[in-house]
Amino acid sequence: MKRYGEHRFPGKLFVVEGIDGSGKSTQLMLLHQWLQAEGYGVVFSEWNSSPLVRDTTKRGKKKQMLTPATFSLIHATDFADRMEHNIIPLLKAGAVVLCDRYIYTAFARDVARGMDPTWVRELYGFAVKPTAAFYFRVPLDVAMKRILDGRSGVKFYEAGMDLGLSEDSEESFRIFQGRILEEYEKMISEFDLTTVDAVLPIEEQQAQMRQIVKAKLAQAKRLRVAP
Amino acid sequence: MRETYGVGLPGMNLAELTGKLIVIEGTDGVGRSTQIKLLRPWLEQQGRAVLDTGIKRSELAGKGIQQAKEGHTLGRTTLTLFYATDFADRLEHEIIPALRAGFVVLTDRYIYSLMARAIVRGVDPAWVRNAYSFALKPDAVFYLRIGVDDLIPRVVFSCGFDYWESGMDLYPSEDMYESFRKYQSALLAQFDTLAAEYDFGVIDASADIRTVFEHLRAGVARVLSGEPREPLFSVSAPPVEAEEAASPKVVEMPSPSKPEAAAEKRDLTPQPLAKAAEGDASR
Repeated sequence: MKRYGEHRFPGKLFVVEGIDGSGKSTQLMLLHQWLQAEGYGVVFSEWNSSPLVRDTTKRGKKKQMLTPATFSLIHATDFADRMEHNIIPLLKAGAVVLCDRYIYTAFARDVARGMDPTWVRELYGFAVKPTAAFYFRVPLDVAMKRILDGRSGVKFYEAGMDLGLSEDSEESFRIFQGRILEEYEKMISEFDLTTVDAVLPIEEQQAQMRQIVKAKLAQAKRLRVAP
Repeated sequence: MRETYGVGLPGMNLAELTGKLIVIEGTDGVGRSTQIKLLRPWLEQQGRAVLDTGIKRSELAGKGIQQAKEGHTLGRTTLTLFYATDFADRLEHEIIPALRAGFVVLTDRYIYSLMARAIVRGVDPAWVRNAYSFALKPDAVFYLRIGVDDLIPRVVFSCGFDYWESGMDLYPSEDMYESFRKYQSALLAQFDTLAAEYDFGVIDASADIRTVFEHLRAGVARVLSGEPREPLFSVSAPPVEAEEAASPKVVEMPSPSKPEAAAEKRDLTPQPLAKAAEGDASR
């Protein structure tokens, strides 16, 4: 089956990926501000944010009734809704679309939960290939420290507590994120991800990112935003 | 041991699923739920425990799908995946536990209806097959087959045309009658394709309820006793009009559809048999 075709729309799609605590959202935010200042029409789309599916996902998480299969499918539903009603129309309109997490998040998490890798990749076959996918590569310990310092605790599914890896949520989180990291590493060559060393100073990472994005936008028509 | 149509799911143990999984398939308004209401007490009288389940009845996603269909725009891929979520939840939380406990599981529709609906909306058939490849292969699929000319009066004289069952998302420029006719013809053609591929037992549903039930009961009895299927499931319904089943233009529209609760009651239930089934159909 043909998967993730190159889109021929005038817009551009940039996505960031990485485990929790890799700093990808910070980097995307900085990129967003810069692109806006440069005069591009920029739209941001976040993983797991479709209003259509929100109540269902919430109920599933709150009641802890999601299995690896339904976890995978409900996130695919969410993504499909954003793809059909948000991302594709925006790309057609010539916008620069920024996604915090994309299909690679699903591949990493769902496979870490035991889903069949080929099945998940086929499931997302309707997605378009990003103009560039940045993978923020970070050692597990660094990411763990960032997360646990900054938050009071990790959520049930975030820590992979549904898998029964450990009674201790911090330990479960470590094992689960470690599995996800392994999956990301495998995907670098499979999907030609642009790796960014997420241990470097923030401004250095951002400079690298902007350089790559700038090159990709060189031929792009600028969608002027009305003042 | 039982098999799926492709992939297994994590934690899904297929050993010792001693119950029987029986699927009743057929298009909207053909009389599936009426037949299930008759089958259930008949099975229970023989001492068989029965679980009946059907589309959109999952605790996880049933309500969400309902809300999405009523209000928002719902793209074809999104709709297909939402239904797949509902199906997976019921498979893991209802169907498999019931099979493990030795129940007869009667399911009002299965993956085939969902596949047919997606395919007529222009979704890639190979993609749909992969999405549902975690489904358990059932012990039998009984397909209640009807031609569109026999279907229309049933729908008209029960509950009327429903937005989604008329495929108004596909043919927004048509009136409900024209749209229903086109959409159901396309669906029935798709069902015929699936019937051959998945080896459905085909029952002519244009006959009266009692006759359909007798065929169905005979078929179910054979499944339960482990006898090989007789080739008696003759297709006597008229062939689906292929020219009407041309693939439709896909247009996504906001849906002003009415609550499905009404649509679910649509199946014809003539008085004498309805009395016989009364009370046992409660879930």
